[in-house]
Amino acid sequence: MKTDIQKPKVKTFRGPGKRKENTPQSGHAAHKWRNIRWGVLLFFNFLFFASFFFDIQVLEGSLSASRLFGFHLIDPLAAAQVLLANKNLLVNLVIGVVTIIIIYVALGGRTFCSWICPYHWLAELGEKIHLILKEKKIIKGHAFDRKIRYYFILIFVLLALITGYTVFETINPVAILSRFIVYGPSLMLLWVLAILLFEVFYSRRAWCRYFCPVGVSYQLIGYVTPLRIKWDPEKCSNCKRCQQVCLVPFVLTNTVNKGKALYVDSGACTRCGLCIDICDDQALSYGLKYLDKLI
Amino acid sequence: MKTEKKMKEPNQKNSISRRRFLQTSTVVAVGGAVVFGAISVPLLRRKHKLLRPPGALDEDAFLASCIKCGQCLQVCPPQVIELAGISQGFGIGTPYIIPRQGGCILCKGLPCVLACPTGALDHHISEGKEAKMGLAVISQPETCLSILGINDLVFRLEKLAKTESSEKPAVELKQIVGKLLQRLNPEEIKKLEDHTGLTGLGETAGHVLQDKLMNDQLQWLTAFVKKSAQAERACRICLEECPIKDQQTIRFIQKPGSTDGRDEIWPIVQETCVGCGLCEEKCPTTTASITITPRLKWSGSA
Repeated sequence: MKTDIQKPKVKTFRGPGKRKENTPQSGHAAHKWRNIRWGVLLFFNFLFFASFFFDIQVLEGSLSASRLFGFHLIDPLAAAQVLLANKNLLVNLVIGVVTIIIIYVALGGRTFCSWICPYHWLAELGEKIHLILKEKKIIKGHAFDRKIRYYFILIFVLLALITGYTVFETINPVAILSRFIVYGPSLMLLWVLAILLFEVFYSRRAWCRYFCPVGVSYQLIGYVTPLRIKWDPEKCSNCKRCQQVCLVPFVLTNTVNKGKALYVDSGACTRCGLCIDICDDQALSYGLKYLDKLI
Repeated sequence: MKTEKKMKEPNQKNSISRRRFLQTSTVVAVGGAVVFGAISVPLLRRKHKLLRPPGALDEDAFLASCIKCGQCLQVCPPQVIELAGISQGFGIGTPYIIPRQGGCILCKGLPCVLACPTGALDHHISEGKEAKMGLAVISQPETCLSILGINDLVFRLEKLAKTESSEKPAVELKQIVGKLLQRLNPEEIKKLEDHTGLTGLGETAGHVLQDKLMNDQLQWLTAFVKKSAQAERACRICLEECPIKDQQTIRFIQKPGSTDGRDEIWPIVQETCVGCGLCEEKCPTTTASITITPRLKWSGSA
């Protein structure tokens, strides 16, 4: 109780949440899901590294395409580009992509972004610096149009078809970083660094928010997956801090702003759990849409 | 009312400039992506000289198919495949081989081809013989030991004597001794055993011999090798190291010499060469006299 009293009063807004005051529940762990998620992210990227470096052969390849215990896993966007560039369907390609789609339908689409993607992790660290600099008024933030991502995926898919080359894979920071982790550094890391610096000094989380076509490809999977963030209006006190920490705050609109849905209904949600961590009303949690009732 | 208006005006201005920024930045970003693709692809797509792993499709089809995952590199037993960076031009992240640093040994089953998830390395080939990576070319006949009529072991020993212990001479000497023991006749091996006081040199004792000869016996060894029967034959290391054992990938043909009237023996690359690069790797001259031209197709004579 003592710690609750010392806590600064949390500002609340008007909204559909039914709790009047922000009253933290006991047992709230501030960084629980973030720590679990970082653990998983670093573990899988280490597994990629170790499979080659120590030759343990568990997860061979990089994030573009790999084999987990011999089973093909292939990034859907990279596979789409290859398919459109060489206009030739291959069994391995289909197997790898279908496996990935099944995995991420089960696990929540853009789960890939926050739980696996090594660039996401770097960007989270960069975001912390960005927020500190912004608080000290050293820099100003800039927002771009979220639709750019959709234009980008369209352009790069068309470019693969027209040029007969996987153009996006040349500049894909996810693939570049993944290859760096497994095979060692290349000069293309400078490009990744440039994006990161742009995010730190100019626009918060710009690549993941506004540009990344890989995120869009997993987002499409995310619309049909049951694993979502669940919102409990009985517990919510409308403090909206969930939207302040969120990579894609608009995904929470239909829940915490409008009260129209109990599960986050946008595929753009990365299921990172930062909102769950910040919510000391415990109004947010991981849930299974369609299946929660059955269980 | 007045105050409200004052409050509103800068806000409105703000939202207008914000919207403008959004629109401009979108146009810039999207336009940038289109221009990047439209310009970079034709600009960067030039004829490469990269040696691709066995089974690689034609360069354009290969670049279209390769997903840049590096799985071929992971399964390569001699670890000779590298991934291209920005300095290799087009095809960042695509696999290639630097034959001088290590040629493809055309291993059984071609694991790199089996590992390729996209068929950029064509699954239709199952043996190294079927690979068409390129062709070996005698690119520097003026330094080729075969043409000059110099024995390779003598050449390497003399070169070793000149180097001032900086470049891992132990490894080189070990390789020379290993090759030498394969080539000597029993009589000569006996002689070597007598000189060094070692026995059983025919089988295993190569490294012992190397240790013994390392310090002060290099000159003796050179003289010994020069006198040995194998020294009468000039270097043929390119054929000896060729992984295609059952066929004559390189034929040695006598030609009348250009300067001193002495006949020269020219290595002539044959059609069965797949361009694996082992000859370039093993060529004893300072820069390889035989090199691989990637993607070169056989056209009657190399």
